[in-house]
Amino acid sequence: MAVQQRYLFGTKGQRLFPWLLLLPGLGFYLLIGVGPSLATIVYSFTDATGIKGFPINWVGFENYDDFLFQGARSSDNLDALKRTLIFMALVTTIQFAIGLLMAVLVNQKLRGRLMFRTLFFVPVILGVAVQGLMWKLFLRPGGGPMNDIFGWLGLESQFLAGSNAFYWVIVVQIWANAGFTMVIFLAGMQTIPADLYEAAAVDGARGWQLFRNITWPQLTPAINTNFLLNIVGSLQAWMLFLVLTGYKNGTQVLGYVVYAEAFGGTGTGSFRQGYAAAASVVLFLLVLVLGMAANFVVARRERKYMS
Amino acid sequence: MSVVAEALSDTVHSDDGGAKRRRILRKVVSYTILVLFAAFYVGPLLILVAASMKSLPEFFKNPTGLPDSLNFQNFADAWELASFPKFMLNSLIYTTVATALFVIMSIFVAFPIARGYVKGASALLTLYVVALFLPPALIPQFQLILNLGLYNTRQGYILLFLINPIGLIILVNYIKSIPRELDESAAVDGCGYFRFVFSILIPLIRPAIATVTVIHAIGIWNELILATVYLTNDDLYPITRGLIVFEGVYGSDWPKLAAAVLMLMLPMLVLYMFLQRFIISGLTSGAVKG
Repeated sequence: MAVQQRYLFGTKGQRLFPWLLLLPGLGFYLLIGVGPSLATIVYSFTDATGIKGFPINWVGFENYDDFLFQGARSSDNLDALKRTLIFMALVTTIQFAIGLLMAVLVNQKLRGRLMFRTLFFVPVILGVAVQGLMWKLFLRPGGGPMNDIFGWLGLESQFLAGSNAFYWVIVVQIWANAGFTMVIFLAGMQTIPADLYEAAAVDGARGWQLFRNITWPQLTPAINTNFLLNIVGSLQAWMLFLVLTGYKNGTQVLGYVVYAEAFGGTGTGSFRQGYAAAASVVLFLLVLVLGMAANFVVARRERKYMS
Repeated sequence: MSVVAEALSDTVHSDDGGAKRRRILRKVVSYTILVLFAAFYVGPLLILVAASMKSLPEFFKNPTGLPDSLNFQNFADAWELASFPKFMLNSLIYTTVATALFVIMSIFVAFPIARGYVKGASALLTLYVVALFLPPALIPQFQLILNLGLYNTRQGYILLFLINPIGLIILVNYIKSIPRELDESAAVDGCGYFRFVFSILIPLIRPAIATVTVIHAIGIWNELILATVYLTNDDLYPITRGLIVFEGVYGSDWPKLAAAVLMLMLPMLVLYMFLQRFIISGLTSGAVKG
């Protein structure tokens, strides 16, 4: 934590310099960051639209009621909520497992390990537009690379145009972010002292036993970080859906619903920003509750392994 | 005695042989899995490169294989049709202006917080940490920009990128590692606050500045959603938005689209090759600390 220190650069008027120079950065942060964040909760109780000059009225819990229980699209919204949870569960577990496997593999003294590391991390820096379009081409139905590969295997799929589109987006999501999970695991592995392994090897432990008894417990901080980040990140992820499938029933997740309702992406041309703000508060609460539950699990693990 | 020694050396020897076999087996298994993963990662990229060199009929006939010839016509076409120079320039403007402003302002926020030169420094730092636990700002932010009359303007778009709590926390942590004696001796020599930050502090925290610059710039360069929400005039589109619009119009012309995607990727890949260390540390340090 920052501790109050004696100011060294002059007296009186000059003491104001740090404040004056700090204000622009802090001001913008409050104006476009924290302020709007908190205002989201206020907006969720209004009938705001995205149209300038339109009056904004207080409507109480109407948006929430409309979104979850009464509205014409409330059952779609509950489906989206369910889908968000499925998305989270699948992405979190698979990305965690793949990232861990990658990290274990490239943490060995193998030739080319740096090349593999670089390669697995590349998608992380590309951004959704590139990630999405790249896979859209790869997954082109009826005559595309993946279609060919499926053909060789005697399989058939409409990919992003078919009924499994949701699961193909999960594949792309994991492809795009597993490298990030890997790097965090790698950073954790590099802090494990080598003599732990040497001592265990002298005792005759090897392979799986080393992983089970040394790597896994010692990796606790990285495991916890990845676990939390994957949960929170996958609950909020939706942009690949925008590029890969567009807004259509059967694939949309909560984050996409918020965006589409707020900015006319539902195809109805309406900007229901109060309603969308309520949806984003619902999503936020979901992230908060699941994040805190995950944190509870993580804290217990930490007590078990780190004490 | 010699029997014992022989027996000992024997067991050691045979144990070595077993260990060697296991090592080789492990290597084979490791490489097999790594190559499979690598195929999953390189595959889409190679297909993209191959597709970008095919003519449309050739692509429909043979979407997966190698192109008949090295043909860069699609790149030239996409460059023209997608208004790439215009969008690229916009992206460059947004990225450099917003990053430069953000980094300079943040140094002046981070330094007094790290040193405790302003009252309530801890509370200020907390204000940045809790940002990660607040609801998304998207909708009120939109109303704000709209009411400021900055909707669909370059200034308004840049304004959105002047904050990055994780970047600020990285700077604060790094500045804390710079010894305070430095401030003292500079102050004794009569160095002012502003000059100290510019000519002494900034050169010393270059690694942190590089990290923050790189992650902030990558974020802006890749941004698609805010560009979709805030910009409707195609003279103002950054390249990501331009690419999605191009897809909407020429989406069935896959080779041209592939060429356009590659052109958007290229600057990022080059940057990644040179700045890998900063990029990886920057993108993950927020996560590890938080």
